[in-house]
Amino acid sequence: MSSHKRRQYPQQQIAAYDVSAGTEGAEGPGYGYGGEAYQYADQGGVFVPAAGAASIVPTPNQVSDQLGQMNVGGGAYYGAYGGYPASGPAANPNSPGMASPYSGAAPAAAPFGAPAPSASQHNASFNDLQTVDMIQSMPPPVNDLDLPPPPLAVPIEQTITRSEYAQASPDYFRSTLNVIPSSPSLLKKSKLPLALVVRPFIGLRDSDEQIPLIEDMCIARCRRCRAYINPFAQYTKGDYRWQCNICGCANDVPQNFDWDVQSSKTKNRWERSELNYGIVDYVANSDYLARPPQPPTYVFLIDVSVNAVHNGMVNCVAETLRQTLHSLPNSDNCTRVAFIAVDGALNYFQFPLPNPLKPDERQDARMLVVSDLEDPFLPTNSGTLVNLTECMPVIERFLESLPSLFANTYSSNSAMGSALKASLGLVKSIGGKVVCITSSLPSVGLGKLQPRDERKHLGQKSEHQLLQPANNFYKSFAVDCNKAQVTVDMFLVSNNYQDVATLSNLPKYTAGSTFFYPGWSAKKHSDSLKLQAELGGHLSQELGFEGMFRARATTGLHPSQFSGHFFVRSSDLMTFPTVSRHHSYVIELNLDETIKKPYVTIQGAFLYTSSHTERRIRVMTMQVPVSDQLSAVYASADQQAIAMWFAHTASEKALQSGFDAAHELINTRIAEIFKVFRTDVLNVHTGTSSTLSLSSNLMLLPLLAYALKKNVGLRRNNQILSDIRANALDLLQTLPMPNLIKLLYPEFYALHELPDEAGLPDENGNIVLPQRLNLTGEVLQSHGLYLLDDGQVMFIWVGNDVVPNLLMDAFGVETLDEIPSGKYEMPVAEDRELNCRIRNLINASRQRNDTVYFPSLYFVHQNCDQSLKLWVAALLVEDRSESDPTYYQYLTTIRDNLAAK
Amino acid sequence: MWSPLIYTIGSILNAVNLFTQGYFLVLYGDLEIDYINPIDLCNKINPYVIPDMLVHLSLCLILLLTGHFWTFLFNVPLLVFNYLSYRSGRSVLDATEIFKTVSKYKRNSFIRLIFHLFAFFYYIFNMIIAIIGHAVAQNESRPQLMT
Ligand SMILES: [Zn+2]
Repeated sequence: MSSHKRRQYPQQQIAAYDVSAGTEGAEGPGYGYGGEAYQYADQGGVFVPAAGAASIVPTPNQVSDQLGQMNVGGGAYYGAYGGYPASGPAANPNSPGMASPYSGAAPAAAPFGAPAPSASQHNASFNDLQTVDMIQSMPPPVNDLDLPPPPLAVPIEQTITRSEYAQASPDYFRSTLNVIPSSPSLLKKSKLPLALVVRPFIGLRDSDEQIPLIEDMCIARCRRCRAYINPFAQYTKGDYRWQCNICGCANDVPQNFDWDVQSSKTKNRWERSELNYGIVDYVANSDYLARPPQPPTYVFLIDVSVNAVHNGMVNCVAETLRQTLHSLPNSDNCTRVAFIAVDGALNYFQFPLPNPLKPDERQDARMLVVSDLEDPFLPTNSGTLVNLTECMPVIERFLESLPSLFANTYSSNSAMGSALKASLGLVKSIGGKVVCITSSLPSVGLGKLQPRDERKHLGQKSEHQLLQPANNFYKSFAVDCNKAQVTVDMFLVSNNYQDVATLSNLPKYTAGSTFFYPGWSAKKHSDSLKLQAELGGHLSQELGFEGMFRARATTGLHPSQFSGHFFVRSSDLMTFPTVSRHHSYVIELNLDETIKKPYVTIQGAFLYTSSHTERRIRVMTMQVPVSDQLSAVYASADQQAIAMWFAHTASEKALQSGFDAAHELINTRIAEIFKVFRTDVLNVHTGTSSTLSLSSNLMLLPLLAYALKKNVGLRRNNQILSDIRANALDLLQTLPMPNLIKLLYPEFYALHELPDEAGLPDENGNIVLPQRLNLTGEVLQSHGLYLLDDGQVMFIWVGNDVVPNLLMDAFGVETLDEIPSGKYEMPVAEDRELNCRIRNLINASRQRNDTVYFPSLYFVHQNCDQSLKLWVAALLVEDRSESDPTYYQYLTTIRDNLAAK
Repeated sequence: MWSPLIYTIGSILNAVNLFTQGYFLVLYGDLEIDYINPIDLCNKINPYVIPDMLVHLSLCLILLLTGHFWTFLFNVPLLVFNYLSYRSGRSVLDATEIFKTVSKYKRNSFIRLIFHLFAFFYYIFNMIIAIIGHAVAQNESRPQLMT
């Protein structure tokens, strides 16, 4: 078989198809089909070949033409796929080493994705500074977004056990600067932010992670600063004492440290996990319990007013909950649930326990209507908050009948504020999760809200006022929830104004999540699919309860600002009534004195109760080198972590002071970074210059910052409704790093030129992704087919001149007219291999184990309406938008401003 | 002739303000050293924020109505400061954001404290002047009665 298995739909062939249009298109030139199709069938039976497919392989000429049209990096583009792509050198011959010194540092067989030590880790030298000319290296090598951060240049001798895994994996715990400036003045001079990016969990379930667990309850901590022992601690006095590497205090090694409880024998201390791994889990003893672990508890508040019934939400939610009941965390059969249906009144449901004498007797839930909204009455007798396992059959029957119960409702009011208060009363002594699913604005009772006059503010300086809470009830209620260890999640399913800005405050300060579905209707299949997937996915993740996170760092360095969804209970303690496993947090660090040591240690400890009602501590430790050289600091800065800091800081700025202030913050900071790099790192002081330099590891930072300015949350535009804005800002402050980077700079693939392996599972069963394209209209070819995916929405862009065969392969249709535009699920054509691969790619993005978001799919082609086209155009962030120039112009403006100074 | 009484009232009300701001500052300090949690802090401070402003407002009204214009003018900056703080809707503490905002509240309390400290001496001084002036005026009128 030919070595060229890539399918091609090149421009030149359109004419051929036009000519042979009448002859069923089977004999036209140019399709490498049948042969390779059979080959796939041989490999895994994925694809059944279509009868009569032609088997003509594209000539080398056609292939090279095709590659020539690619905007990104020539031969290396395909050649290097599989490892980290070396797209840099191809795009920029001036900087041969730019493919980054760490591109080979992929983890080999690490138990939990810890970066394997690269050569530079064995000696104390820092990462080399590689200078890149930003303008010469256009277009930006976006496939480098998948690279790991610059390695921490800490020699392995720093650890007592010489463990390769002594540093916490950057997936969990990373610093914006992997070399920390030695003095506050140097940090200030560098203009780079110093912050930690923390993601306590990288998967929705415990089984998605492999963290060593220490079960012998022997937890060695510093008696002064309470830091946990770690691989970087030093031992003195014949190993009987250890010196804390955070505060320097000498501590006794606990007596049981060398004792194996299970076998009652002395064990080798140096094999203990906490001395070998940067991330460990401890099973905590009763010292870490404020009260006995509580059963997982859920209260569901379901809106049953006219809005919710009419758009089909009640039906869809009841069905989803019924299916999800069995996958709620319930390992010890002690999970408890309650349901309150909310319209103008509160409708409680009481579930009778099965009668032990007559187990087969059918019992039904009883409804209890309460219409006092100011001080809602609580049904005190049991039966409202019940054990899920015991009452499963009656709850299932109840959820089946719920839609019909309210099908003929007339109440257009919603007393959601009062319902929230009542649900807090129900679970006050236990804690847990209140899941609020609503389709209307709370209009009666406590915390009622009115639609705000958006038109007056949109596009004005005062626009950010729409993002401030309209009412004090929700913030002060969030404080009450924290006292009672209750998290509130909001599912806002509406076709009207929903005041996301106010309602999202509850999840924000109780460590919950807000999910927003604008213009939702159950009539649209993809809408109900999305709500079902996200509600079900969110509820079935393994929860943590009563979480606390504290970061400690070597003297001179301490946490100062915290950003994300949680409640700050003291100057250095973040608390989480329940832990959403798909969130991430940013902690700014303050450097307040000169650090004389060559390394600093940063440790984060996350204490929580697992859904198996076991108290656990996850300790993450990293050691970071210190330097007094600005070039060393720049060479080890982590562009993705810095971009994440920008996202959190700019969103906060937008909420407080408006969008102009947020843009100003990004622009100034990026310009300052370029300036410092030029004058203080490269020592260039003379006038004009045609170059704009930055270190290669920061090469994509300006692009990410530029994309951040164009994100829906911060974009300058007078058409974006405040609900959409508030939700986008919420995402910017919660998404973990890979998802945030994807949101800022969506993944963009050419489906008509998929490499052979793309869209098919690799040996581990993961779907292989093709190379990303740059987000610019320049790469779009009118005969092409593209997938754009930002993790929240996906678009399939169909070119105007797409050949019928491609349509047939991709969608199983003959003409463009048969593909509806707009929100639509991918048609299934089992016998078409390309169709299978595209669906694989879409499902891979939807079924990730680290996020519950389920992106909707939109089809975009010439016949679709203008607003959809504009939406896609706005995601092509390197292009010009109505308020911003192209990325290229953005860079040249910075260069000209620098040269003018 | 009312002046001694007015300045006595002034110094008493001012002492109330002075004490309140001192109390606030101590609590802010406690928060920073984690001696008190944000929820308790807000429960302790918030009930007194508006009354504290009202005390000052009533003092200003008394001064204005009794014709002590210069003393009233002396109080105008704080009156405006309080009004702006009330208008912004951020005069009372928000427990969810307290660690981001506490330095600002602390600074504002400190400014108020300094103001009230100056005002304290101002009222005492004026009170003494007024009492002396009152006594002198009475002394001047006494010989006429004697003769
Ligand atoms: Zn210590």
